[in-house]
Amino acid sequence: MAERVGSRTDLSQTVFGVTFHSPVLLASGTCGYGQEYADLIPLDDIGGIVTKAVSVEPRVGNPPHRVAETPGGMINAIGLENVGLEVFRNEKLPWLDRALERAQVLVNVVGRSADEYEAVVSGLDAEQGFLGYEINVSCPNVKGGTMFGTDEAVLGGLVRRLRRATERPLVIKLTPNVADVGVFAKICESEGADGLSAINTFPGMVVDIDRRVPLIGNGSGGISGPAILPMGVYATWRVRQSCELPIIGIGGIRNGADAMQYILAGACLVQVGTASFVDPNAAVDVHAGIAAYLERSEVDSLAELVGGLAFPAARK
Amino acid sequence: MVPVRRQAVLRSSRVVARDTWWMEFDCPEIAETSVAGQFAMLGVGLDTAGTWLLPRPFSVGWTGPGGVAGFLVRTFGAGTRAFTRLAVGDEALVLGPLGQPYVLEPGRSIECVAGGVGLAPFIALAASEAAAGRQVRLIYGERNAEAVFDLDLLRELTGHEPEIYTEDGRMGTMGRVLAGLDPAGDALLLGCGPTPMLRALAEFARTNHRDLQVSVEEHMGCGIGTCQGCVVRSSDGRWVKACVEGPVFPADSLDWTTGG
Ligand SMILES: Cc1cc2nc3c(=O)[nH]c(=O)nc-3n(C[C@H](O)[C@H](O)[C@H](O)COP(=O)(O)OP(=O)(O)OC[C@H]3O[C@@H](n4cnc5c(N)ncnc54)[C@H](O)[C@@H]3O)c2cc1C
Ligand SMILES: Cc1cc2nc3c(=O)[nH]c(=O)nc-3n(C[C@H](O)[C@H](O)[C@H](O)COP(=O)(O)O)c2cc1C
Ligand code: FES
Repeated sequence: MAERVGSRTDLSQTVFGVTFHSPVLLASGTCGYGQEYADLIPLDDIGGIVTKAVSVEPRVGNPPHRVAETPGGMINAIGLENVGLEVFRNEKLPWLDRALERAQVLVNVVGRSADEYEAVVSGLDAEQGFLGYEINVSCPNVKGGTMFGTDEAVLGGLVRRLRRATERPLVIKLTPNVADVGVFAKICESEGADGLSAINTFPGMVVDIDRRVPLIGNGSGGISGPAILPMGVYATWRVRQSCELPIIGIGGIRNGADAMQYILAGACLVQVGTASFVDPNAAVDVHAGIAAYLERSEVDSLAELVGGLAFPAARK
Repeated sequence: MVPVRRQAVLRSSRVVARDTWWMEFDCPEIAETSVAGQFAMLGVGLDTAGTWLLPRPFSVGWTGPGGVAGFLVRTFGAGTRAFTRLAVGDEALVLGPLGQPYVLEPGRSIECVAGGVGLAPFIALAASEAAAGRQVRLIYGERNAEAVFDLDLLRELTGHEPEIYTEDGRMGTMGRVLAGLDPAGDALLLGCGPTPMLRALAEFARTNHRDLQVSVEEHMGCGIGTCQGCVVRSSDGRWVKACVEGPVFPADSLDWTTGG
């Protein structure tokens, strides 16, 4: 083995036809459109950011309370409030294009119908300043009412349409709210997706026992934070077993050790969400923690460790 | 006034009323740049020992020489209990200054109306504005005498004599802060406290054509405008973010008919 030099430790990952110089991205909904964090952390020191969901029309969102702490995490029901395609394209995207050099941008896309998803993708596809799309399928389909991401036929149909609408990297963000996330991963792969994000928040509820009402204005919400770390790692491993697509691991990551669990389970990139609320520097620290892990393990390149999880023979 | 993230050392911490602490941190950026009404997110960071705690919003209560920022913290749930247990020399993760401050007009007198820990932003304001020669009234209400901030310390910090109201009447005047206001007055009213008090104050200001700015409370995730978690309803029916568009709003820009 070649002699190792600390600064040569290579955390870069080549995925979706580009090189992410760091495997750590900021998760959708926890970093806005990047601008607010630019004053606090050097965004180009991390691998990239995933924008707040963008829908065709601006969304107004849910009544308060929209967020609260839960054991080991938080609950949120924002209602996908966002500036909408027009403002995103005219104001947010040009800023991202100007401000970022190395950090990659994925645009998180949401819709109430396949038409709406496609309108966002078509409306952005010719623009500069981003690499590709992360499709948020954890939202109800107005036709039929179930979530896009929990119905095999609906999800397949959506991916097929979006695949026709763009040649850019198309990453589907899976919902954990299904019996076997592997089945949905396989569908995305066969319909032409380029990658998978695993996972979105888990549905949850908090009861205000004094007022005897749900604490969150919307009634229920999505649970994120360290509480969901083992479920996210499991989902990543299930997806790895079910298909060949690159995986972005998400859920409860606070430090390099948490991120390495996802990477060993099969993720080549990771996203940091709720931890950034606790410390805006979290993603930068996660990057440093992964680098320290490589040093300690005397591994030169992170790519060697992706999916490197071994099962002792007896327990297979 | 770009917000700064810093590990801040706790310089002093003392009990100033029942369940209430006055905590001073080394926070030069906040001490030098914050304006009364702004707040900071206080947290313990991503503790490697495994504690998980989202940061909580606290008004910048006071800024002093040597880069010190003071916060008034009353225990409520897990978060506030965790902060008040910090010992001198411990570090907290502080993000600030954040949000919009109270906006004063040159020369115009002010009446600061505080309920409970809503006193916090007015400690700094009373201190600096009274020293600058502005006419300031500090009208401060608590449920009972035990909850009233240590008056000697309050006088020392503000250089000012507060007007105290308690509902049990065992300290200051018996009753609520609203009783201390003159409907015909023309000072600018500044309010901070529980929502029911602010609502009553907003109603008083509306019926008496008084100008009023209030600092509102809502649960916060990020404190910097990214999560959209902290919204309150504006009078024209929009959701506005308390962390960046507030926490201080002109009272007539908010919808007081909904919410807690
Ligand atoms: C701009 C602003 C300034 C504030 N200034 C002060 C101050 O100077 N001194 C002080 O003692 N308190 C202040 N508060 C209130 C303080 O933030 C809450 O008391 C605290 O968040 C409660 O946390 P907890 O863990 O003790 O309670 P819990 O009930 O355990 O908290 C659970 C969740 O509710 C949220 N939460 C609960 N109550 C409030 C509330 N009233 N406001 C905001 N979030 C809440 C917490 O963030 C958390 O997500 C301020 C609030 C805001 C919005
Ligand atoms: C306040 C908040 C808003 C979010 N908004 C979105 C969103 O718009 N689109 C999306 O795909 N995921 C959204 N998420 C989910 C996160 O991107 C992430 O998948 C989830 O929080 C798990 O990661 P974490 O535990 O690191 O936060 C949001 C999460 C939070 C906490
Ligand atoms: S607290 Fe996140 S937007 Fe206000």
